[in-house]
Amino acid sequence: MVIENVSFDVLEGEVFAILGRSGCGKSTLFKAMTGLLAIRNGEVVIEDEVVASAGKAFSEEALKRIGILFQSGALFSSMTVAENVAFPLRQRTTLSEPIIEQVVTLKLAEVGLAGKERFLPAELSGGMQKRAALARAMSLDPRILFFDEPSSGLDPITSAELDRTICTINQTLGTTIVIVTHELASIFAVADRVVLLDAGEKTIIAEGSPAELRDLSQDERVRDFFHRVPAGDEGRAAGDRGAL
Amino acid sequence: MKRFKEMFRFRWRTRAPRGEATSAAEQRALVAPTIREGADFSITAEAKTFDEVRISISGKIFMENAQLVLPALLSVMEAHPLENTVIDLAGVEYLDSSGAAVLMEAHRRASRLNNVLRLSNVPSAIRTFLGMVDFEQFKDLGILEPREEPGVMVQIGDGALELSRDARDMVTFIGATVVALLQDFSRPRKIRWDRLWKLLAQSGFDAVPIVTLLSFLMGAILAFQSAIQFRKFGANIFVADLVSVAICLEMGPLLTSLIVAGRSGAAYAAHIGTMQVNEEVDALRALAIDPIRFLVSPRLIACAIALPCLTVFADLVGVLGGCVVATFSLDLTPQAFFNQVHKVLEVSDIAKGLIKSVVFGVEIAVIGCMKGFQVRGGAESVGHATTSAVVTGIFVLTVTDAIFAILYYYLAVL
Repeated sequence: MVIENVSFDVLEGEVFAILGRSGCGKSTLFKAMTGLLAIRNGEVVIEDEVVASAGKAFSEEALKRIGILFQSGALFSSMTVAENVAFPLRQRTTLSEPIIEQVVTLKLAEVGLAGKERFLPAELSGGMQKRAALARAMSLDPRILFFDEPSSGLDPITSAELDRTICTINQTLGTTIVIVTHELASIFAVADRVVLLDAGEKTIIAEGSPAELRDLSQDERVRDFFHRVPAGDEGRAAGDRGAL
Repeated sequence: MKRFKEMFRFRWRTRAPRGEATSAAEQRALVAPTIREGADFSITAEAKTFDEVRISISGKIFMENAQLVLPALLSVMEAHPLENTVIDLAGVEYLDSSGAAVLMEAHRRASRLNNVLRLSNVPSAIRTFLGMVDFEQFKDLGILEPREEPGVMVQIGDGALELSRDARDMVTFIGATVVALLQDFSRPRKIRWDRLWKLLAQSGFDAVPIVTLLSFLMGAILAFQSAIQFRKFGANIFVADLVSVAICLEMGPLLTSLIVAGRSGAAYAAHIGTMQVNEEVDALRALAIDPIRFLVSPRLIACAIALPCLTVFADLVGVLGGCVVATFSLDLTPQAFFNQVHKVLEVSDIAKGLIKSVVFGVEIAVIGCMKGFQVRGGAESVGHATTSAVVTGIFVLTVTDAIFAILYYYLAVL
């Protein structure tokens, strides 16, 4: 998928959301921002350093600055929750095992999973798996945390709990958070600023706080998105279709 | 002019309606796709003007009677080609998906007859229901017709392209694997030894029972088949020659590698494929961990170690199988059998077999892992990758074995 003219700044310490309907290029943008997809044109800049551009992939150092919560959680199914969280620490640091164990305990407590250390991912609920994956993403204390559809597959209550966790992490640790989603409820609960991608043009059509876009935008596509009425479908109820 | 006054009536009736007139609640539920028994319908057609015919439908159109409504509508339209057809639905009490499908099909047929079909007096609930479908968009689509199979030339072209893609992927993958192995060997402390031991156990130790059984049987079969021929010439003792050389040089390594390809090659493809689907491979990349080094290297090393070990075991058991048959059916003593094996079998024969088995082990791991990394999509793709890993593995192993046979032959001549 090609997305064009997409340019935005995420400020340090804010919760930033990328919104859009299905097929608008959110996932492509997410992969490009996190180094999972090669960029043909353009660049990703983190703290004034170009970390990815055409022909340049994320370096190991650049990847250390970010943590990712995947849509499915992507926990390693053969490892316990504690091993999953310890995995980046064992692979990427020279910390001793006792220290790693303490970090794991701390991270699991931060996401409300204390006591679940020895569980396998398959033994956890969907919400718990997301939390465990979040603990793993946070294990190296990244400066920026990326969330891909964090509410996906969760019931509204669990989703709201995850939103609260995101807010807590942002406020207590000061981690910058970038969320890719189409869940308006989550956005209004956590996001400071958002950009809206258009499915047709595959580009950004609005930027601002969620409330600004909902209440003040004059763009019909933005209003449609925030009021949940797909553009061009108003005439559907009239029933006049084709020759009938 | 007679035609303009023509009026006919088509009526079809099922059992008499059970209930009274439709209640308000039932009216609201008219669009629910529920089959209702005991309903009926009637169709009345009237030529209104010189170019318009009006068909009035009343009653209920649903799954059980829809098949009868369509011919009725078509008979009217075919009797009045090139005219406007108006279907008046004022009297329709209930219309389910089949009823809507009848109207869609009538619309499509009307287009073919150059009629213009229009609905009128559509009850509001039905109007909402029909509004979900864009009749114009779907009128010409044969969505249930089987997809057209590509021609032979297209299939050959697709096959060639897939083959070239596979070849390119394999070269890229092998290159990345070699780099990963060099990194591992340059820093052995970074090798995941715990994982390596587990993989060794899975690929090697766990395969011992099946390797034992099949190797023993293979040795026995070779002894039986050769005994029939050798007995004719009173050369029973040469059974030991044939069994030992065939097993150690050819059958032991090949049979063992085929078993490992079926067990471990398929398991590697399925495991890595599932990780790919679950975004676990992406998670590794996001943690700046090279998936090739993390997932392929230990499997490759495990296979390259496990296969020669299993081959030595298969050689022993295979020769033993031959010995058992020779002892019980050829009147040879085990001591005579093994003396002959000792005489004829050279260390180089065993070494040749082991060299082959190392190469086979590397091939099995590379193919299994590569097929796993090629997984895109969901469960079906994982299944395809697993099957492909086994089939490709068997093919590559057999070709490699043939290459080794030729190579060893010319090396012996030289």
